[in-house]
Amino acid sequence: MDAKLVNPFIEAFMAVMPMLGFQAPTRKDMSVKNKNAVSKGVVVMVGFTKQLRGNVVYNITDETARFIASTMMMGMPVPEFDAMAQSAISELSNMLSANAATNLTQMGLDVDISTPNLTIGEGFSVKISDSKYLVIAMDLQGHNVEIAISVDRNY
Amino acid sequence: MIVDDSRVSRLMLANNLAKTNFEVVAMAKDAAEALRLYEAENPDLVTMDMNLPDSDGIECSRKICAMDPGAKIVMISAMKDANLIEQGRAAGISAFLQKPVSPNDLLDTLMLLCQEKISRIAFLRESYAKPFAASLKQGLLDLVHLHVEPKTEYYEKKYLEVNGIAIIIGLTGSPNGRAIVYMSDDTMENFAKRMLGGELEDEDDAQEAVEEAANIFIGHGVSAINGIFKNKEMRITPPGTFYGSGVKMTTQKLVTFKITAMTEIGEIGINVGFAEGD
Repeated sequence: MDAKLVNPFIEAFMAVMPMLGFQAPTRKDMSVKNKNAVSKGVVVMVGFTKQLRGNVVYNITDETARFIASTMMMGMPVPEFDAMAQSAISELSNMLSANAATNLTQMGLDVDISTPNLTIGEGFSVKISDSKYLVIAMDLQGHNVEIAISVDRNY
Repeated sequence: MIVDDSRVSRLMLANNLAKTNFEVVAMAKDAAEALRLYEAENPDLVTMDMNLPDSDGIECSRKICAMDPGAKIVMISAMKDANLIEQGRAAGISAFLQKPVSPNDLLDTLMLLCQEKISRIAFLRESYAKPFAASLKQGLLDLVHLHVEPKTEYYEKKYLEVNGIAIIIGLTGSPNGRAIVYMSDDTMENFAKRMLGGELEDEDDAQEAVEEAANIFIGHGVSAINGIFKNKEMRITPPGTFYGSGVKMTTQKLVTFKITAMTEIGEIGINVGFAEGD
C-alpha cells in the first residue's frame, strides 16, 4: 500500500473535526498490521472505488461514539447510542469520506464512495485486507479514534 | 407518527389507523417530542396538529423537513384556510385535512402520499434486489451444487443481526448502497467443505471460501444490473469481513431487502440496501 494514500484520510479527520466543534485532534500512533482488527464497540466502514479501491474503518468505543454524537449535537446528553446518535456518527463518516475524496481528487485520483456501514457490537473481528494495512490512532480530546486503512490505486 | 397535544385526538387517529395497513410507530404531544421521535423512528408519514404547547404545527413541520427533506407531513387541524395552506406548503407540509377527519379521507390522503415510496420500493426490488437473488441462485448451484429458489422480501428492521460471518461489499454509482452476505459458523464450514471439495486444512480456509463466494454473488448481481441499465455503472468495493456473534449492522437511511436461500446446509442470506432518496 502506498503511504501517500493515507494522508488524504488523516487530513480529512484533522480538517473536519474542528468544524464540528471538536478541539484539533492529534495523531498518536501509526502502525502496520496484518491481523484482523477487533471491534471496540462501534465500527464504521466506508468503501472506495474507481481509481482508488479499498476500505476505511473507524473503530471506536461506545463511550467515544456517544461523546462524538453529543458534541456534534451541541452538547446534548447522549446516554445511549440510540438512532439519533447513530445517525450523527454515520453523517460524520460521510463528511470524512467526502472530504478525503476531495483531497484524493486534488492528487488526480477520481474516487466514488459507498454508503457508510455502521456496525455495533464488541469483540467481533473485522478484516479489510488479505495482507498488511495501516492503523492510525488519533486522539480526540482524550478519546481514541482508530482509523484502519487499506486502499490501493486501481490501474 | 401522530403529533397532537390532545390525548383524545391522538387516540382517535390511532383508532382509525388501527383498522388499516398503516402502523402508528410513535405519538408526540409537543414539538420537542415530535422532533426526537421523528429522528428515532423515521416514520413514513406524520400527521401534524396546528396547536402545540411549545411551538406550532408549521414551525414543527419546518424543523422536521430540515432534518429530512423527504418527510411526508399531513396537517390535521380544526382550522383550514388559504393562509394556513400557503404557510404550510412553504414549511414542507404535503396535505391538509380538517378536524374531524373522516377515516376514508384520511386513508386516501395517506395512501396517496405513500404511493411514491411504495413505487420506489417496488422499483428497487424488481430492478436492483432481484438480480442478486438470481446471482445467489446461480452461484449456489455453480459453487456448492445446491439447488434453491431464494426469497426476496422488503426488510424493515433497524438492524441485521449476524451470528457468524458477514461479508460487506459496498456498491457505488447510482443508487449507491451495500450488500451483506451472511451465514452462521456451521453453515460457513459446510459451505467451504462443499466448495473446496473435502476437509479444510486451515481455519482461514472457511472464511476465505465464503469471501470468494460473496464476491461472485455480488459481482454477478452488479453485472446483471449494469447490463440492464447501460447508463448507470455500478461498481463494487473490496469486501470487508465481519466475524463474531451478536453483530448488529444498521439499516439506517437505506431501503433494504432480505434475500434468503434456505439450503440443506443452513440459511444463506444477502441483505442488500440502497441509499434513501437517490
